[in-house]
Amino acid sequence: MRGFSRASQAGAMILLVLAVIAIAAPWIAPHDPLRTHLPDALLGPSAAYPLGTDQLGRDVLSRLIYGARISLSIGFIAVGIAIAVGVAVGGLAGFAGGWADAVLMRLVDTMLSIPTIFLLLAIIAFIGPGIYVIMAVIGLTSWMGVARLVRAEVLSLKEREYVLAARAIGASSWRVLTRHVLPNAMAPVIVSATLGVGGAILTESVLSYLGLGVQPPMPSWGNILNEGRVALGVAWWLTVSPGVCILITVLAFNLLGEGIRERFRG
Amino acid sequence: MTGYLLRRTALLIPVALLVTVISFGIMHLAPGTPTDAASFNPKVSLEARQRMAALYGLDKPLRVQYAAWLGRIARFDFGRSFVDDRPVTEKIIERLPVTLVINIASLLLIFLIAVPLGVRSAAQPGGAFDRWTTLLVFLGYSTPSFWLALLCMAFFGVQLRWLPVSGLHSLDADGFGLLHQWLDMAWHLLLPIGIAAFVSLAGLSRYMRSSMIGVLRQDYIRTARAKGLPEHRVLYQHALRNGLLPLITILGLSLPDLIGGSVIAETIFSLPGMGRLFYDAVMARDYPVIMALVTIGALLTMLGNLLADAAYAVADPRIRVGGRE
Repeated sequence: MRGFSRASQAGAMILLVLAVIAIAAPWIAPHDPLRTHLPDALLGPSAAYPLGTDQLGRDVLSRLIYGARISLSIGFIAVGIAIAVGVAVGGLAGFAGGWADAVLMRLVDTMLSIPTIFLLLAIIAFIGPGIYVIMAVIGLTSWMGVARLVRAEVLSLKEREYVLAARAIGASSWRVLTRHVLPNAMAPVIVSATLGVGGAILTESVLSYLGLGVQPPMPSWGNILNEGRVALGVAWWLTVSPGVCILITVLAFNLLGEGIRERFRG
Repeated sequence: MTGYLLRRTALLIPVALLVTVISFGIMHLAPGTPTDAASFNPKVSLEARQRMAALYGLDKPLRVQYAAWLGRIARFDFGRSFVDDRPVTEKIIERLPVTLVINIASLLLIFLIAVPLGVRSAAQPGGAFDRWTTLLVFLGYSTPSFWLALLCMAFFGVQLRWLPVSGLHSLDADGFGLLHQWLDMAWHLLLPIGIAAFVSLAGLSRYMRSSMIGVLRQDYIRTARAKGLPEHRVLYQHALRNGLLPLITILGLSLPDLIGGSVIAETIFSLPGMGRLFYDAVMARDYPVIMALVTIGALLTMLGNLLADAAYAVADPRIRVGGRE
């Protein structure tokens, strides 16, 4: 971790802890996150329920622990999709140039001019809000930045001497692109992917808030928050704790992303 | 200059067409036909459904339907709402003022806060002020804005009872004088505007900081300092002019986010604006309204970017003389 600022090391540590919590959820969660027990509804924090219970008497801490699984997977998979599409589109546009470039970049311009939330809400409302739909739609509405980054990198890389040398010894275009150009274009992509995971988690929470995110009873941080807001006046812990989880996680991704950016800059 | 802008505009034509294709395509994403979806909604009368089928020529091939729709929206005819059968354009126009007021006021607020923050941070990068604002910026970036809105509502609205938590007017606003009514409205918009500004504040102050750091490294700043100008004149008169330039582009690019922020803010605070209209339309599967708002939202964004490019070309001669993109 040499060369990384203390802040970004802290970000990495937080993410590591979160990943462990998400993976080990079944062993560390004190209660079943789906078990409803109405006599214990809306209890404040106590020894039995460290973060209190919700309207149906479910343990909030256990729901948050399981929610980490859902929220983190949505973040990672959505960003994976965005990176795949962005690298493909940007790489092709930069490498092929000409018409392909013009057409693909107009597609990027188009996607950038439609307000993302409009696309997200309309598509999810029409297809139905499953967890895979949410991952796919967040990914497919957030690849444009990556495409532009990759295109710019490829444009500058493809004229470098080592690339010309590879061409001169007869390497195919595909080989030149995938072996020589794209790997060297990855630095800004890694930064934007790291920041993107946090962004995707925020997006999922907004969708959940609007009732179009992960559907109950499956817990995500967004929908725990959404269920809690009805009882905001009497049970503040329902709204505060998932928000703090989102805040800390997104902050950790942002700190780490910024740290990687500085590291690459050297 | 004119040539540069003409080229920029020409690039927008295919983009605008693609926008209409996507808006149109969304309508056909749902399983079944749009009239099926509308028939789930008890508010849609049989008469409206028949008119709808005829209007969109749903028995015709898709490209014929698309061409017909494109022809109508070119004349700003977005059809009638499935929910209350009123012209979509009329519904949008009556919702526009609230959204405009919130966005313009929050933009002003953002500038008033972000510019001085960025300048002060850039004056001594790594100094105490810079470190604290960086921390705040990162916290701001990472805070879900709707969550902050909920907490503010609970604290300022419910707990302290300082601010109203929803709507645009007090219940007894009809009896107020004109000035009182305006003040009442401003009172109701205080929280929404604050939250809307919060969303972009962190990012913009960060841009301002890095832009100013770049400017402050230039020779003319060293000259200004060398001839003994006080630091605040160097910062706010010499450096700020150039430091503000990149913000023009950022402003153009942040339009979709502002529109997105309206959806969230207006839904949380129950305000009758365009964002709330879109949310309600999505929930009611009111296709004509959805298609209209997606198209208009995208066209407004494109217009905003074009204006930003034009403003940049006016402000920075290097762009128009060099003819670079």
